[in-house]
Amino acid sequence: MTPPATGLTPSVTGARPTGRTPPARSGRKRWRVAPGYLFLFPSAAILLVFVVYPIAQSLWMSLHNWSLFSSSHPFVGLANYRTMWHDPRFWNALRNTAVYTAVVVPGQVGIGLALAVALQRNSLVNKFLRSVFFFPVISALATMGIVWKFLLDPQIGIITHLLVSVGLPDIGFLQSTTWALPAVIAVGIWKSAGFSMVIFLAALQDIPRSVMEAAIVDGAGPWPRFWRVTLPMLRQSALFAVVIATITSMQLFDQVYVMTSGGPLFHTDTLVTYLYQVGFQDFRSGYAAAISWVLFLLILLVSMLQLRLFRFKETD
Amino acid sequence: MIRTKAVLAGAALCAAAALAGCSSSGPASTAAGSGNGMVTLTYWSGFTGGDQATYTALIKQFNATHKNIKVNMTVQPWDSIAQKLPEAMATGSGPDIATPDYNVGTIRQYISNGLLAPIDQLLGNGTNQIPASVLPPAVKSAFTVDGHLYAAPANWATLELYYNKTMFARAGITSPPTTMAQLESDAVKLTVKSGSTVKQYGIAIADHSTIAMWPIFIWANGGDIQTANGCSALDNPKTVQAVSTWANLIAKDNITQVGLAGQDADNLFSAQKAAMEINGPWATGEYTPAHVDYGLAPVPTGAIGTTVTTASTVPMVLNAKSPNKAAAMTFFAWWLSKPVQAYLAEHAGYPPSRTDMTNYPGLSKAPFVAGFSAQSPYARFYLPTVANFNNVDTNIISPAIQAVERGANVASTLKSAGSQLNSAVNCPS
Repeated sequence: MTPPATGLTPSVTGARPTGRTPPARSGRKRWRVAPGYLFLFPSAAILLVFVVYPIAQSLWMSLHNWSLFSSSHPFVGLANYRTMWHDPRFWNALRNTAVYTAVVVPGQVGIGLALAVALQRNSLVNKFLRSVFFFPVISALATMGIVWKFLLDPQIGIITHLLVSVGLPDIGFLQSTTWALPAVIAVGIWKSAGFSMVIFLAALQDIPRSVMEAAIVDGAGPWPRFWRVTLPMLRQSALFAVVIATITSMQLFDQVYVMTSGGPLFHTDTLVTYLYQVGFQDFRSGYAAAISWVLFLLILLVSMLQLRLFRFKETD
Repeated sequence: MIRTKAVLAGAALCAAAALAGCSSSGPASTAAGSGNGMVTLTYWSGFTGGDQATYTALIKQFNATHKNIKVNMTVQPWDSIAQKLPEAMATGSGPDIATPDYNVGTIRQYISNGLLAPIDQLLGNGTNQIPASVLPPAVKSAFTVDGHLYAAPANWATLELYYNKTMFARAGITSPPTTMAQLESDAVKLTVKSGSTVKQYGIAIADHSTIAMWPIFIWANGGDIQTANGCSALDNPKTVQAVSTWANLIAKDNITQVGLAGQDADNLFSAQKAAMEINGPWATGEYTPAHVDYGLAPVPTGAIGTTVTTASTVPMVLNAKSPNKAAAMTFFAWWLSKPVQAYLAEHAGYPPSRTDMTNYPGLSKAPFVAGFSAQSPYARFYLPTVANFNNVDTNIISPAIQAVERGANVASTLKSAGSQLNSAVNCPS
């Protein structure tokens, strides 16, 4: 007689039927849960609760007139998105974000590549310099923002002092509608170039010596070797560096929040600082959720475009 | 089989541990009280500044002197409170008492959504009450909505004119200005330039992220930000005149650096790069250790013939869903008692939140308090009835001021800002 199945898993070592008649079918489909899924469950549950659910909830909120204060949140369809279309503050923030991204990404990746090529030999000095250039990456962006705010201060900032001492005008970088965004961009490049440098350093180590030696044998000088051998072989790393730099640039918040709070006169306001203000100062959570979804779609679109443009072979 | 069971058991334990980690970490801290008659009041406050120690010491005093009530104060940044408190109160998990914001208008959003309980019984002549007449009129007016009092002042402050005595002496000015005309001319005299570089500013005027300074110039000239019914008064000729005067002084004479946040203005005065600043009592705690040789004077008198200044108070409110309202009223009344107000004055420099303590003996220990107290009858709140204060201040008023500081046409800028203000407060444009 076959013992009845009692748990999630059927008995695999139980007594085999010994009678002449085949064992009666229970009529229920026996099922089992692979242990692997149980091991996945804790992480999956956390992801569902803290990632998937908030994302879905934010989409839901973006379709409602949602306020932190109110207990009722009437459905408004796409009204928040229509409001955004006519909101000059949104377009201003989008423009600032686009300018920041358009300058910081090539700046960060270009300088990172230059540093990696210059410091690729494993000498003691190079190792030290790599650490120096990587230091801003591991420092808190908010802390660095405060440091730069002091450095650029028109009264007590050392940078202002140096510029004035060589006869240049006293520019209040972070108070100037002309210079605030360039100053934020410069700090952004300074902060992130080290990250790209490390990506390229790792990729440079992976270029086979034989390839470079073959190029030398063929009579290629340093510059042709860089353009025709090194750079093509860094393509995948460059793609990674560019995509990551683009995503982080489009999400710019803490540096601006600390350095300028989006000012002066919204000249450094980014999509995320505006989103923060709308959501957590004006308490218009539905509208803030709509902005966040537009930002998400923009990042998705730009990332897909980059992956498409950088793709060299189908296997990439 | 055994191996499979062990794997399953391990996975189940992991899942249970993870779920336990995600679930409640313990009983809610807002329990109405324990079985021995002790009531615990939870209190969210935003006093993270230099005055935090004073507030904490006062809470300890309250707990030591009230055997049946314990106040459990949690101090957190203002922006954190702003993000969490509305949702917490709406869902019944909020604290009994809270300071929602340092802008008085914000509480109206809570009131209109039924999140706050009125505290009318605080006023009276009985036990655990304070006479209605002792609250500063501006406070009482700002905290009263539809005839009900909804908040008690956690503190009260006015602004005075700080001036650097050394810089005044160097410029040959013997006394602080007493009229707005003198303030304007002194600001010009005290501005020191070297070519196009300003070495010393006559005054530091912040235009954002601080207690409002610009309205003082407007009020002193007889203008206003809002009319009595809350609509825009930005196109009032006296408002336009006052803003034009100060915008010209900034554009032509560089009397202040443009684009200063509150802390930037404080830094300028503290670093002795600015000769004057209009600021509250909290600034003494910064300027005295910086060895600035400063004096304090009432805000100069303008065209209206009296001094006028900006008031500041932090509203302390009672959660509508609090089961401990009686205990909260006891705490509010104790907070507004004379000894507590004197302690706050002595240790944090704030003037008392009541008007009947002019000759209170304990106040003599706080040297600057008398001056700030003397400004109380002339103190006004900036945008006191605007529920969406942050939106109006950050997106409408401050940008307009910042624009005129940079040379924008005053009349058209204020007119445009006025239209936006009317739209934000539901007034006809």
